[in-house]
Amino acid sequence: MAILIDENTRVLVQGITGNVGSFQTGIMQDYGTNTVAGVTPGKGGTEIFGIPVYDLVEEAVRERQADAAISFVPAQFAKDAAMEVIGSGIPLLVLTTEGIPDQDVLTILRYAALKGTTVLGPDTPGLISIGKCKLGVHPHTMFMKGPVGIVSKSGSLSYEVGRLLTESGIGQSTVVGIGGGPIWGLSQESVLRMFEEDPETEAIVLLGEVGGRLEHDAAHFISHYMKKPVIALIVGRMAPEGVQMGHAGAIIEGEEGTAASKIAALKKAGAIIARSSLNIPELIKKLEV
Amino acid sequence: MRLLEFQAKRLLAEKGISVPKGVLITSPEDLEKVSFPTVLKAQVPVGGRGKAGAIKRVEQAQEALPVLDEMLASTVKGYPVQALMAEEPVEGCTELYVAYLIDKQVNIPLLMVSSVGGVDIEEVARRTPERIIKKYIDPAVGVQDYAIRSLAKTLEIKDVRAFAELILKICTIFQEKDATMIEINPLALTPSGLIALDAKILLDDKASYRHRKLFSQLKDEQKKLDRTAKTKAVELAEERQINYVPLGGNIGMIADGAGTGMLTLDMIHDAGGKPANFCEMGGMANAEIMQRTIEVVLADERLKVLVISLIGGLTRMDEMAEGIMQYLKDNDQSVPIVIRMCGTKADVGLPMLRGMGLDAYEDLATTVRTAVEQARNL
Repeated sequence: MAILIDENTRVLVQGITGNVGSFQTGIMQDYGTNTVAGVTPGKGGTEIFGIPVYDLVEEAVRERQADAAISFVPAQFAKDAAMEVIGSGIPLLVLTTEGIPDQDVLTILRYAALKGTTVLGPDTPGLISIGKCKLGVHPHTMFMKGPVGIVSKSGSLSYEVGRLLTESGIGQSTVVGIGGGPIWGLSQESVLRMFEEDPETEAIVLLGEVGGRLEHDAAHFISHYMKKPVIALIVGRMAPEGVQMGHAGAIIEGEEGTAASKIAALKKAGAIIARSSLNIPELIKKLEV
Repeated sequence: MRLLEFQAKRLLAEKGISVPKGVLITSPEDLEKVSFPTVLKAQVPVGGRGKAGAIKRVEQAQEALPVLDEMLASTVKGYPVQALMAEEPVEGCTELYVAYLIDKQVNIPLLMVSSVGGVDIEEVARRTPERIIKKYIDPAVGVQDYAIRSLAKTLEIKDVRAFAELILKICTIFQEKDATMIEINPLALTPSGLIALDAKILLDDKASYRHRKLFSQLKDEQKKLDRTAKTKAVELAEERQINYVPLGGNIGMIADGAGTGMLTLDMIHDAGGKPANFCEMGGMANAEIMQRTIEVVLADERLKVLVISLIGGLTRMDEMAEGIMQYLKDNDQSVPIVIRMCGTKADVGLPMLRGMGLDAYEDLATTVRTAVEQARNL
């Protein structure tokens, strides 16, 4: 297995009959994702793209042995949907929904910790294990199979970097979006740990941005535990303090949230700093991985 | 959403937390309602008001008018003062500090207390962090009595029951109103009990659908008191609820993703250009949102060039191209527009744009370089 998912992952889609849910399910299925079930309360017994739809997650787990879930459920109902996945014992939940109230996210993450469910997101594009499984909304034509792992807060930035790498003939193993915050389930640090142990990954690109202090935790992990090379790009050098730059978590509150302090911490930790996305392919080529 | 002091104190008082007797003042006539001595406090959404001269004590009625006039004409950290609170002074008290907020490193609410509250709390946090005591309140467990008893002992509060009640009330407000932070600093420990002398509350905008009445009341009040000078673009963006951040330069920027948006700005800067703004449409943007967003960003009259940075993940490039074309159909083009377009349906979108004679590229570097050159030559 690569990290988190592979071709054997049995995927359940929550909100499969909605606009975004059904559109993205079609693309995931075309990519080869093993989509075994959908859940929309009240639509149980129907089918979409040949995928059986259930009223309840527990039914989907019992009858289709789903072991990963992706939620396209709107913010107002996202907490209940997430709690249902966690309560059903599914080990991985991708929470694409943007705008879930912070306290709902806290409750979700607390329950997930108690039950051992890994939560990616919220406000995440999800993840894609190149050539194996797509559990998210990544435009997959921008990626190709290879040895570089990508972990990013932003979806768009990971597409941008994936595209540049692919154009330079450098493939990727798994591309993980951890989400726009301000509260994160899986952190950059946790994904770095997985890449460090993943035999399919030889180098890692860390894409961060202003706001919060996850990148400082990542820097700490890099300096103490990582042997594989990490190339880091932090965007938002132009961001003023105290205003939101798109993502709910991209807001500088104090020195640690600035791009400058994150870049300094990562540099000190031994990461290779990219000034812009354009430099990343050449920096990787220099590593000779 | 950050509440003004009078709004925050109203939320506290509604739950039975003691606050000083006070009235809101927006004009000299309101002084009739004030008893002296009083403390006049500017209602602006920033910290450090005491040190910025935005809090003044007035002993007698006849001294009040000039102080009031001066304060109402002042600007505190960029915010023109439109209202003051006049509060009864609380004398001879010990000043404590209490805050309840989300610790985003562990994703658990955190209660922080200190016996050295007041204007220097940030200094305390930096120099003697051990004087700020922290207790995590696990949502799976809730606030337990022993935790409060332990805090009360450290703070040398004798009336443990009153302190426990206060803490429980803060936690309840936090939960019920979807707050992300409640800070009472200072919290006065007086012979007659605990009184919140100042309050800072942040509410979670993402939860506003659960508190529609409260949010609209708070917003209306703030709007009435907001005289901050705003550009046309900022006003239009607020009205249309578009994420727009002015940056002062002359190269406008619109992106369909936050990460590529920030990257585009950094690249404009590195190429020697001056970004005028950040603006992100979000992954759910369609042709109409594209058009309305261009209207917002081009409302900034200092613009020389507009960069539109699109990488279709969730957004569809045929729709984005349609939005740009619709804008140009309805408006005279005031500045050159340079577009980066790739991703979902770019094979349809790019020819549409080029057919209109627009500068459109698949890669970001060429887009940025072209825009910066154009801004320089204009």
